[in-house]
Amino acid sequence: MKWVAARSGFDEVFDQRGHCRAHYSPLISVLEAFTKEDVERRERLQQLSLRSQGITFTVYGEKEGIERIFPFDFVPRIIPASEWKTIQDGLVQRITTLNLFLLDIYQEQQCLKDRIVPPELVLSRKEYKRELLEVVPPRKIFTHVVGTDIIRDDTGEYLVLEDNCRCPSGVSYVLENRTVLSRVFPEFFGSYPVRPIKDYPTLLLDTLRFVAPRPGQNPVVVVLSPGIHNSAYFEHSFLAREMGVPLVEGRDLLVEGNRVFMRRTHGKRQVDVIYRRIDDDFLDPLAFRRDSMLGVPGLLNVYREGNVALANAPGAGVADDKSVYAFMPRLIKYYLGEEPLLPQVPTYLGFRRDDFRYIGEHLDELVVKTTGDAGGYGMLMGPFASAREREAYLGAMRKNPGNYIAQPLVELSTHPTHIDGQFEPRRVDLRPFILYGDRIRVLPGGLTRVALRASSYVVNSSQGGGSKDTWVLAPRDP
Amino acid sequence: MILSRVADALYWTGRYLERAENAARLLLVTEELSTEILGLDEELARAEWTDLRAIFPGFEPEERSARHLAGFAAASLHGLSIDPAHPYSIFFSLKKARDNARSVREALTVEVFVNLNETYRELEHYTRRQLADPPTFRSAMSSTHRGILSTVGAIEHTLARDAGWLFLKLGESLERVFRTTVILRTKLPALLAPEPKIDLPLFYSQWRSLLRGLSSLENYRKVFGARLEPIDVLQFLLFDPHTPRSVRYGASAVKDYLDRISSASELSVPARLVGKLAAELSYQGHDLIREGQSLPFLDHVLAELGRAHDALSTLYFGT
Repeated sequence: MKWVAARSGFDEVFDQRGHCRAHYSPLISVLEAFTKEDVERRERLQQLSLRSQGITFTVYGEKEGIERIFPFDFVPRIIPASEWKTIQDGLVQRITTLNLFLLDIYQEQQCLKDRIVPPELVLSRKEYKRELLEVVPPRKIFTHVVGTDIIRDDTGEYLVLEDNCRCPSGVSYVLENRTVLSRVFPEFFGSYPVRPIKDYPTLLLDTLRFVAPRPGQNPVVVVLSPGIHNSAYFEHSFLAREMGVPLVEGRDLLVEGNRVFMRRTHGKRQVDVIYRRIDDDFLDPLAFRRDSMLGVPGLLNVYREGNVALANAPGAGVADDKSVYAFMPRLIKYYLGEEPLLPQVPTYLGFRRDDFRYIGEHLDELVVKTTGDAGGYGMLMGPFASAREREAYLGAMRKNPGNYIAQPLVELSTHPTHIDGQFEPRRVDLRPFILYGDRIRVLPGGLTRVALRASSYVVNSSQGGGSKDTWVLAPRDP
Repeated sequence: MILSRVADALYWTGRYLERAENAARLLLVTEELSTEILGLDEELARAEWTDLRAIFPGFEPEERSARHLAGFAAASLHGLSIDPAHPYSIFFSLKKARDNARSVREALTVEVFVNLNETYRELEHYTRRQLADPPTFRSAMSSTHRGILSTVGAIEHTLARDAGWLFLKLGESLERVFRTTVILRTKLPALLAPEPKIDLPLFYSQWRSLLRGLSSLENYRKVFGARLEPIDVLQFLLFDPHTPRSVRYGASAVKDYLDRISSASELSVPARLVGKLAAELSYQGHDLIREGQSLPFLDHVLAELGRAHDALSTLYFGT
């Protein structure tokens, strides 16, 4: 088996002298014992398994939306217990802050009055829902499910890249990757205390039940999906199945007497908690986008009345705005009086005049993103763009500077990945999932996304990325 | 008590799976019979294909290939097996079954979905090549047929007997009795003609092929022995209470599922429609056949089944 050395950045497995890091050495020994043919045979089994189970996602922009397998690389990413502790503590601190921030801006707006964050920056965002001012969600929780993207810089330090407070996806792949890997390469698991993750659906259901507005027994929980053509449909269906709750579409729900019901073959039934995987704008055509066919007319009023819980709460999207991100260290200090446990990437804001000038002058060093978009759409990778592309992008930025942020290009860490019969370093990130119910829980694992092209920094599945099983190791007994 | 949308999708999953199974079986049987009799009676071989096209409508009426039997047969084979545009091709039905199942995966088990998905994927693979020669065709169809049966097995063995299962079985049983009736309605006029125009061995091959097409040959022999008398075959396929593809058994099965879906206190409209039909089928017999009333009776069955489908769609799916 051939291992290609990493050329730049921090490699998860090999140190700068090419020596294997201690926590990877048992895995590498096991892998070395396989012949090339063995590995290829196992990889074919893995493909078959993914295909036959229909573990796919849909790519937009192609006709009819093509179903693709989310590419899976079998070399697992391993995170030692001590490193995980930092990540976990940092995430709990962050999610606590995000939730306090949301409670604040939808009520007192103290952080705006104290000028911790410029008010115009928050209040001008389309994700900020003015119609939800003074509406407190059940149990005061806005962000029931968060997926935070984390990268490692060239020193190996973990940095938060962004928080996803709307409908973060990918957790189904986290669970399925573990299943596939344990079937195809059971030998890997022998020498590692890998923390289990399969109870995620149970924890998710507990989280959702915790916020049910009707007191008492057995709240009715549903997963609301835009339907089969959505790129994450597999996940919606997977989570509904794993939790044992109905998967509904907008047309399955109706509002009557300020309550939400689902239409069934023999009459209707009241719904208490909706784990919605539909963006705010499409939730309710009476409140937001009128042309939405996906939502439920009148739903927002029911929510406002406190008769249904929505997870995540509408309006939560403003917290993961890329320009609010820039203020997170200040917000953590403001609400918790603590220093941030996880550092983040320096961010220049288009709406600040000085920053904008800096961005214009250093465009060839920066990654520029629009604040509203996700999934790697609409970004400019300055160092790799042509002068013409940069000029055109800058032209677009001038029309709406507040819509852009810029960050220096962080050299992502790499991880050996099986490509064409050998192990080559490929850039990775990490998306842990955090649940906020009776307390905040971080799933010990996460989605390690990998950019399968050698030159690529973009790990999104919509942009040709794959994923790895992610192992968080249990602490050894003292 | 399930979502109307989910009930609808499960009903159609059942219908399309059953339709694909029927088409696969009939294609294999027709292909075999027409190959065997080709040299003896080309007209009869052609009639077999023409019947099949009437049972699964959707072909263009006039085709140039129709002049040569080989071309006609090949076009029929392709159309009903892997043509993605033909609304009754096996591929089309399997795709619809899978699309419906995929839209309600959470209501199915992994075993059911994986079997269905693999069967679909395998056939999809063939749509990208042509089914080159008859052996390739037979092996592809047999394998699809096995895949469908293993999916049905997964349904039997893994699904909870809840409302979702009832709607799936309702779709399956309604499609089955409907298609059996269509097959009989299509085949009988020629078979019941007072003077068979062909020699006897060939005449019996046709009746045998009809039984095989309804996977009822072995079951028939258990009741009547190896001797094929048209009136017995007809009696068996219309009124036998035990063979799963007789019209009587089929209507009783539909009635049974509709009764169980209905709320306990009162029968629903579709349950009453099919209940009457099942009763008629239980009390009819030889007389109807002797009096030459089979064809009008089959028309009546088809009309009632159509009404039942409309009534249950309105009642349960809100469509």
